[in-house]
Amino acid sequence: MTSDAFDLDDLPPAEPYDEARDKAQRERLLTTWQSPKGWRYLSDVNNSEVGLWYLLTSFAFFCFAGVLALLIRTQLAVPGNDFLSQDLYNQVFTLHGTAMMFLFAVPIFEAVAILVLPEILGARDLPFPRLSAFGYWCFLIGGVFVCGSIFFGAAPDGGWFMYAPLSSNPEYSGVGADIWLLGLSFIEVSSIAAAVELIVGVLKSRPPGMRLNQMPLYCWYVLVVAGMILFAFPPLIAGDLLLELERAFGWAFFDPDRGGDPLLWQHLFWIFGHPEVYIVFLPSIALIATILPTFASRPMIGHSWIVLSAVGVAFLSFGLWVHHMFTVGLPEISLSFFSAASEAVAVPTGIQIFCFVATMLVAKVRPSLPMLFAGGALAIFVFGGLTGVMVALVPFDWQAHDSYFVVAHLHYTLIGGMLFPLFAGVYYWYPFVTQRQTNQKAGKWSFWLMFGGFNLAFLPMHWTGVMGMPRRVWTYDVTDGWAVLNMVSTVGSFIFAAGFVVLAVNVLWPRGKHAPVKRNVWNAGTMEWSAEVPDKPWGVRSIPLIKSRYPLWDQPGLLDQIDRGEWFLPDAKEGKRELIVTDILDARPLFVQRVPGPSWLMLFAALFLGTSFIVATYHWWTVALISGAAFVAVTLYWLWTGTAHIPEKTEKYVGRGLTLPTYEAGAGSVGWWAVFITMTGDMTAFVGLVFSYFFFWTVLPDFMSTTEAMPFGWLLLGFAGVLGQWGLTVAARGQLAGRAPGAAIGALIAAPVAGVLGMAAFAWAAMQAGLDPTRHSFDATIWALLLWLSVHVALGLLMQLYTAARIWAGICTPDFPADLRNLTLYTHFLAVTVIMTFAMLAVFPLWLGAL
Amino acid sequence: MKHPTRPRAPRLIDDGSLWIVIAAPSIWAAHFLISYWVAAIWCAKIGGSLLDVRWIIAALGLASIALIGLLALVAVRRYGGTLIIFEEITEDSRPARERFMGHVSLLLCILSAVAVGFTVIPGLVMQTC
Repeated sequence: MTSDAFDLDDLPPAEPYDEARDKAQRERLLTTWQSPKGWRYLSDVNNSEVGLWYLLTSFAFFCFAGVLALLIRTQLAVPGNDFLSQDLYNQVFTLHGTAMMFLFAVPIFEAVAILVLPEILGARDLPFPRLSAFGYWCFLIGGVFVCGSIFFGAAPDGGWFMYAPLSSNPEYSGVGADIWLLGLSFIEVSSIAAAVELIVGVLKSRPPGMRLNQMPLYCWYVLVVAGMILFAFPPLIAGDLLLELERAFGWAFFDPDRGGDPLLWQHLFWIFGHPEVYIVFLPSIALIATILPTFASRPMIGHSWIVLSAVGVAFLSFGLWVHHMFTVGLPEISLSFFSAASEAVAVPTGIQIFCFVATMLVAKVRPSLPMLFAGGALAIFVFGGLTGVMVALVPFDWQAHDSYFVVAHLHYTLIGGMLFPLFAGVYYWYPFVTQRQTNQKAGKWSFWLMFGGFNLAFLPMHWTGVMGMPRRVWTYDVTDGWAVLNMVSTVGSFIFAAGFVVLAVNVLWPRGKHAPVKRNVWNAGTMEWSAEVPDKPWGVRSIPLIKSRYPLWDQPGLLDQIDRGEWFLPDAKEGKRELIVTDILDARPLFVQRVPGPSWLMLFAALFLGTSFIVATYHWWTVALISGAAFVAVTLYWLWTGTAHIPEKTEKYVGRGLTLPTYEAGAGSVGWWAVFITMTGDMTAFVGLVFSYFFFWTVLPDFMSTTEAMPFGWLLLGFAGVLGQWGLTVAARGQLAGRAPGAAIGALIAAPVAGVLGMAAFAWAAMQAGLDPTRHSFDATIWALLLWLSVHVALGLLMQLYTAARIWAGICTPDFPADLRNLTLYTHFLAVTVIMTFAMLAVFPLWLGAL
Repeated sequence: MKHPTRPRAPRLIDDGSLWIVIAAPSIWAAHFLISYWVAAIWCAKIGGSLLDVRWIIAALGLASIALIGLLALVAVRRYGGTLIIFEEITEDSRPARERFMGHVSLLLCILSAVAVGFTVIPGLVMQTC
């Protein structure tokens, strides 16, 4: 059959069922996909295991941060309390917010998505299982480091948003601020890794036939949120870099005496911080959007309206960041823009809620534990959303800013919008993960305790806030008149905690001897419930053709067909873990992707990278460097042995008359997309630095005139050098495609030489002008830009030498050029970075001078 | 290298339907940022009454809404986007997928136009920085 004639709507029938063949295929699949036993279990990379670890670890951090919350409430229960010292109290509330946001709210999205997404997609796994495992280990190590600091009295104590100068001046803040900065930067690595994995997963790993209009809502949300992570987290990474450069080396970014401005940190933090709220909210709403149709026994009303809302919220939520800064003295016109956007975002958020309500209205919803939590979630979230509209109004915010009103508002939105839906998801997918059912009665107890306790704890805070109680206050006087309300809040918080304990016991209760649930226990329509009971590690027995949003409802006989191995890839003849990669729009099958199996490399890579970040906290630069080098070495070995292998045969029969290639390079391949997505995030972080440059230019009248101009000739030379690094790589790609691997290797070795010389010229120009980063914010910003560029030139150097070695070893060839194609894409981004840097160093000052 | 069976897939860029989905909100984002920059630079570097820059804000808003309108037209004409509410585009075909994307793009055009309007209002009302 030729490729043009192949039609997914007209597949040849499956081969007749043969029990012996089925058995043999199942056995081969099982050996290929099963988890390692014993202590080797920790080297596993399968999404169902990594997702479960992620989930349990996130909940462990949630418990930790929850205990901190109880400490806070105990301290505030009565006036004039000294249960915690003031210093410890500062650490406790800082760590509470930090851990809840960075170690629970965001990772739990990744956890649930890694666990559930491949199964909803009817895929065997996500395209980069080792990347997921690496992300998990980074998360665990970084989280333990940040949380552990409180046991040494060294936890961060500047509040979860670490405002400068409290955080930038070592006189006000100890090592805690460094732990926050470096520990969380390290964890951000894992978030971005997960974002890459999930975006490529949704776009390229859908089952054949699942066109964009058939894609379940959960996948839309995952795509949107992972995209948001790419644009939200990097500005914070840029901010972390600047703040740590100031703390460790005295660079002048936030110190007003040296042309710095503490407001820069607030901008960079909240450009991350506000989208972050939606990054944690949307995935939980996605859980409701998945659960609700099951219990309504009908498709969601307004599916496309929900898609629109998710995309709309994703964009609008980036226009809200200044509403955290209404009181810092920005021009009122600027505040109004952000106030307007904050009101506008309520529109798509409301559409989603109305779609949910409409679906519940037209269907008779089956009462169940997940729906109980979903209902509670909507009630609490709508309340928090309405106070959100209040604080989005500038005049009201001026009254309520930094008071307990804000504390009440944010907990209503986060607990209603994120936690309760998550608990609904826990009860909903518990049978999917464990094949057992939770105790429903205990489940109801947990709901009512948490729902009642939550409202008792946080509703009064609206009043304590309006009565003037500032957030983060250590204690208060009885004459302030907040005592009774605070006591009520404290009692409520303990009732809430009791409800969570009931939930935790219910979920963790050993049920090994209980009867397993029946398959598709809730009678759901989405693919994850196609899993056999007891579950198998292969994800799905054979990858079906999907023709509906709710395939288990609309495609009769689908389960039997999957089980009998009648669909694609029913076998693992070569003993390799394989996925089908499809196209983004219509999910036409493109090729078979082999994914690597268990390995210890990711654990070691995470350990070395973690050590490097952790010792940097204590300024042990030598150990940090050695550890960083070890990380690079392990990563290179991981890439060399685990990626872009030349397959033993160029194509493979996957069943139903379809033969697919086993290798892909360039824009169709998953690796290319991973590079593209990672570099988009990288570019966003760079834009954070660009923002800093123009921010300083706007606020400082003399930003550029504090030093003499950098010599233009040297800047031009630097520009040419780094551009040469890009040009030579593009030339190498051409040479390889023209079957001249020797010339390609030559170009790849010459490229970094050009880049390094270019960087040297840039640095020389800056030194000629006498730029000293500790002197003034202009100097510091220029050096930060150059530092950023040089790191990218160095990364390019590593990759160029690596790819040259791959060509030399015959792994990267004219027919199998994936490595070089990915490298070229990287250098495209490098070229954009150097063009922008040159514009800021040379062109913009010249242009201003000419004005 | 022999070419195995591979169903023909539309190329992302040629097809364009993913881009049109994010185009309208991107225009909102661009309009928002430019408004913010104009105001910030005006207030920091030039100052004075906002009445002088009111026409810039209005013109920016109109231009953005016109662009979004153009996109909406594309969504309707090229992708067959419609404003349905209770009906769903669930057929399993390439035209249905295109119509679905057109429909979502159209909805996003409306949302983006409303959001641009939200941003323009303070520019017309406020008189000082």
